[in-house]
Amino acid sequence: MIAEIVMLVGALLILLAAVGVVRFNDTLARMHAQTKATVTGVVLVLTGAASEVTNAHHVSMLLLATGLQVLTAPVSGYLLSRSVYRSRDIHARVDVVDELSSPAED
Amino acid sequence: MITAVLVVLLLAAITFGYRLLRGPTIADRVVAADGLLVVGVAAIATNAVRTGDGSFVPVAVVTTLVGFVSTSVVARYIEGRS
Repeated sequence: MIAEIVMLVGALLILLAAVGVVRFNDTLARMHAQTKATVTGVVLVLTGAASEVTNAHHVSMLLLATGLQVLTAPVSGYLLSRSVYRSRDIHARVDVVDELSSPAED
Repeated sequence: MITAVLVVLLLAAITFGYRLLRGPTIADRVVAADGLLVVGVAAIATNAVRTGDGSFVPVAVVTTLVGFVSTSVVARYIEGRS
């Protein structure tokens, strides 16, 4: 019962990420919604499923998928955001200090 | 309860699919496609709980790795194009 509630909370977080991806009006803002909320949601869903499944192989597979998701999502998010920044596909807001201007150029 | 989880995941997939079709830039579509893969992983795990048959659970691991590699490759492509 508790595992199913955890899975439902995770699915709702993934839905929240999807709503953020549709509603925000900038690629970097969309990634901000997608990377964080999606990883948290899928971790909740996978750990909830791992505590419901009985077979030990499937439990270890689900935990492996959880660990891989946590490890790989920040790396791919960083690569994508750096390429978006470099291709200048973002809004240039006049009231914002561009703190990435020197380090991300290399 | 498990059915509710699957319905919420279906709504998330439809919402990501809207951005995948509309997204003005390639990066927006990549963000939406990555989200769709995550929805797929969660749906595989949920279905394993619902049916009690975990035959497709290894596919969740592979889908995670495919999402990482594809996002990285498209990021390299966007960066090399400009």
